[in-house]
Order: sequence, then C-alpha cells, then structure tokens
Amino acid sequence: MSVRDLRVTLGGQAILRGVNLHLHRGQLVALIGPNGSGKTTLLRAMVGLQKPDSGEVKLFGESNLKKALPRVGYVPQRLALDRSFILSVREFLALRLRETQHWFWHRHRDTDDRLRAAMAELGAESLLDRPIAALSGGQLQRVLIIFALLKQPDLLLLDEPTAGVDTPGEQDFYETIAEVHRRHKLTVVLVSHDLSMVYRHASWVYALNGVVCCEGTPEHVMNADSLKEAYGLNVTPYHHHGHSHGPGVTH
Amino acid sequence: MNFSDIEPFMLRAFAVAVVMGPLCALLGVFVTARRMAFFSDTIAHGALAGIALGFLLGFEDPTWPMVLFSLLVAAAILWLKEHTELLTDTIMALLLSGSVAFGIIVLSLLKNRRGELHRYLFGDILSVGPDDVWLAVVLCGAIGVWLFVKVSPLALLTASEDLAHVCGVRTRWLNYAFVLVLTVVVSLSIRLLGIILVTSLVVIPPAAARNLARNLRQQIILSLIIGLFGGAAGTVASYHWDIPCGPAIVMVCIGVFIISLVVGKLWVNRPAQEKAA
Ligand SMILES: Nc1ncnc2c1ncn2[C@@H]1O[C@H](COP(=O)(O)OP(=O)(O)OP(=O)(O)O)[C@@H](O)[C@H]1O
Ligand SMILES: [Mg+2]
Repeated sequence: MSVRDLRVTLGGQAILRGVNLHLHRGQLVALIGPNGSGKTTLLRAMVGLQKPDSGEVKLFGESNLKKALPRVGYVPQRLALDRSFILSVREFLALRLRETQHWFWHRHRDTDDRLRAAMAELGAESLLDRPIAALSGGQLQRVLIIFALLKQPDLLLLDEPTAGVDTPGEQDFYETIAEVHRRHKLTVVLVSHDLSMVYRHASWVYALNGVVCCEGTPEHVMNADSLKEAYGLNVTPYHHHGHSHGPGVTH
Repeated sequence: MNFSDIEPFMLRAFAVAVVMGPLCALLGVFVTARRMAFFSDTIAHGALAGIALGFLLGFEDPTWPMVLFSLLVAAAILWLKEHTELLTDTIMALLLSGSVAFGIIVLSLLKNRRGELHRYLFGDILSVGPDDVWLAVVLCGAIGVWLFVKVSPLALLTASEDLAHVCGVRTRWLNYAFVLVLTVVVSLSIRLLGIILVTSLVVIPPAAARNLARNLRQQIILSLIIGLFGGAAGTVASYHWDIPCGPAIVMVCIGVFIISLVVGKLWVNRPAQEKAA
C-alpha cells in the first residue's frame, strides 16, 4: 500500500503538500501530528472521501479505490448522527455484514450470533438494541470500531478511534486489534495523540505536518528533535520507571 | 353498502390513496431522518409553476409539466447547494416562493384557468382520472420495489454518508436517485392532497411511527401501516361526510399521530426508562 506525492487543497489552503507513505502488510503504523496537520484529510483521501489535487493512492497495489474498499475498515474521527434516526446498533452492524441482502425481513441467527460475539469482544453487548444516535461518545466509538472490524478487513484506518473511550475500553481495543492482528495479518494505520500508546504499539511512525516531517521506528521518531520539528513546540521524551516508555508533551 | 353505488371518481381516489399513502410513508421515514421535509415542501410548491406553464403551453393535463418542473426545482436546489455558499433553507425558501409567485401570476393571466389554482393548492379528487390511477399504480409499484431493494444502502447513507461510501455504496448516485423518486412521488400525490398538504403524507406517518418504534425496521413497518390506514380512512371519511379528501386524510394521520404520542409516552418509553433506572 502506498501514497505517492499526495496534494490536497481545502478552502484555498494547501493542507497536504506532497505526502508519501509506504505501508507493508502486517504493520501497525501510527500517524501523529498537531491539530490541523492534515491527518484526517490524509485518511479521507486514502478511502476516496477526499479528492486529491494530484498524487496517487494505491491500496493492495490497486489504484482503483472502489475495488480496494471492500477490504478496508475505516473509523472516522467524528460521526455526526442525527438523534431523530432510530437505527439500532444491531441493525447498523447488520448493514455491514449483509449490506446487499435483506437484513430487513429475516433476522438470521448466525448474523445475530456474530454480532453478539463481536460486541462482547469490546464489552458492548448491552448496547445491541439501543438506537445508535442515543449512544454516548465512547459507546458510539466502540460500535464504530466493531463496525470497521466486522468484515475482517485487510487494512484498517483508524482516526483517533479511542478518543472518548474509557481506559478499560481502550485496553480492550488494543487487545482486540492485537488479537485480530494475530489471527489475520492486517495492516493498521492509527491516528493518535496518545504518544505513549503509539510508542507501545506502533511498529512504524509517521509525523505529519502538511508533509511527512519524519518517519521511522517509535524510538527514532520519539526524540525531542524530530517531535519538535513536527509539533513546533517543546516536546520532551520522558521515561517512566515501570511499564511505559512514552514521551510526554510540555507546552 | 353496495360498491356499484359509489361514484367511480371516489373509487379512483380510494385506489390512489391506498397506493400513495404507504409509498409516501415509506419514503417519509428517510425524508424525515435526513431532514428533507422542507425539501419535499419546496418541490411540491415548485409543481405550481409547472402546472401554470403546462396550461400556458396548452396542455389539457399538466401532469408531465408538473413533474418536470418539480424535478427542475430539485435540481436547482442541489446545484445551488453545491455551487454557492447559501444555506439550504435559504435556497429552498427562495425557490418555493419564486415558483409559487410565478405560478399564481401565470394562472391569473390565463383567464379560463383561474379555478385551477384552488384545485391544485388544496387537491381535488374529481380531477383524478382513470389514467392517473394507472400511472400511480405502475409508477408507485416500481418505486416501492426499488425502495425495498435499497433499504439497506439508504439506511447506511442516512446514518453516515462517509461510512456508506467506505462500505461501497455509490452515495452520489443514490442521493440523486432518492431525490428523483421523492420528487416524482410528491408531485403525483398533489392531485389528491394538494400542494399545501402533500408533505404531511410524507412527514406524519413516519413521525407517528417514530413515537412507537424502537428500531428502524419497526418504524418502517408502522409507518407503512399508518400511511395505508390514513389514505384509506381519509378517503372513506371524505365520502361519508362529504368533506374534502386531502384534509380528511391529513386529519386521520394527525389523529393517529396524537394517539401514538400518548401511547408512546405512556407505554413504549416507560419500560426503557425503568430499565435504565
Ligand atoms: N472541509 C474543509 N474546508 C476547508 N478546510 C478544511 C476542511 N476540512 C479540514 N480543513 C482544514 O484542513 C486542515 C487539516 O484538517 P484535518 O482534519 O486533516 O487535521 P487533523 O490533523 O486531523 O487534526 P486533528 O488532530 O484536530 O484531528 C485544518 O487546518 C482544517 O482547518
Ligand atoms: Mg483529525
């Protein structure tokens, strides 16, 4: 999978100014960068939600995104749901499983079992019959993660997937990803502001700020110089005594 | 009651009502969820300009000019939305008043057509001809089948266009198709309900169903039933008490809505609250 010289202009502003990425199968790639640096724009361009001015996105060696999309799971950063729409979590997830068939008329037992199992993995079974619009931010985020994972994608694009998810939920999430990763060698692109999480889980890091300022292993990217270059402020790597080896940000 | 005693125009009105009622109600589930009620109102009012133009051009039956002009208004809304910074309701208010003003002026200039204004604004079952029944049945049958096939993508599109796109739904195409279908159905329902009331058939049944339903499937089924009942009971009431048909249908639907509101508040939501407590 690759992104070559991608340029995107939004509202007269050059947001992405020639971005290059190379992803290898099975990698967990983290995308970091300050607010407004174009991370969301990049992911949207990768799934065809944002038309680039120039450049090329190739997924699975395929530059026709339509053909690649069935193998992609995507969790958007923010999903604005209308409270008046009464779609239940069960129906929402069923749309993903059998989008062409009629979820509407028959409720297949195997679908139901699959949904329940998927929900249980992230500790969310009790939400199955709630309307999606009535979920809390973190609950919705869990459902979106499940939605993205349901069809066993080969590429998972996650835009701050655990924003608003509580600590146990976040752990469940990373465990689920690791588990899916073991079973099924998928590639993950994760946007996150949680540098210690990135440090612990990512195998490769891109620091983005309109262009890729630096890339490399977490150890390489997470030193003061390269972070300063990306964020333009003082970022000091800190070392915890125990488990965590993540850097911290001081303003 | 003997069916042969009933005037044929009444039977025709009944036939159209029981076809259009559920169809509008089904469409309405998505129209309301996607906040397109005002959109539907605008294309209905746009039809007035089409009707006036049709008469001006010498059509005896202005159905086709009416549908075409409504489509033009719908296209204009979409185009202005994409190519200007104007807010959607501003655009719609503009087009709505523009087409009504144009329609009224043209109809008032055509001396022999002044009565038509009242007829189209408030609906007139006497103007539902045998051809209209066939048109309604065939077209609505086709649209109904299409909607059922597309329920899943439409539901996904309503929840989130971005997710729908990533799941392989051709969102742009589906959006246009939905607008096309809505426009055709709304403008064909004008004969029965009139320009002013036609949106109620799209909005009230899903709203009533929403009060009782716990998920989308329930809302769709209830909405269909309420639309069917409203159309049928309204026409029968209009015949019995000799009142205008469109308003009778709307009042039946409003009645169902009020009942659903009360029942929903008392029963349907109660257990959920207790569970949550
Ligand atoms: N539709 C739009 N029209 C104009 N400008 C936009 C649009 N969407 C995003 N932008 C601009 O593009 C820039 C990058 O936005 P983007 O959402 O990609 O940032 P991000 O890196 O995801 O930030 P965050 O960390 O806050 O999520 C921002 O400066 C934003 O103002
Ligand atoms: Mg973002």
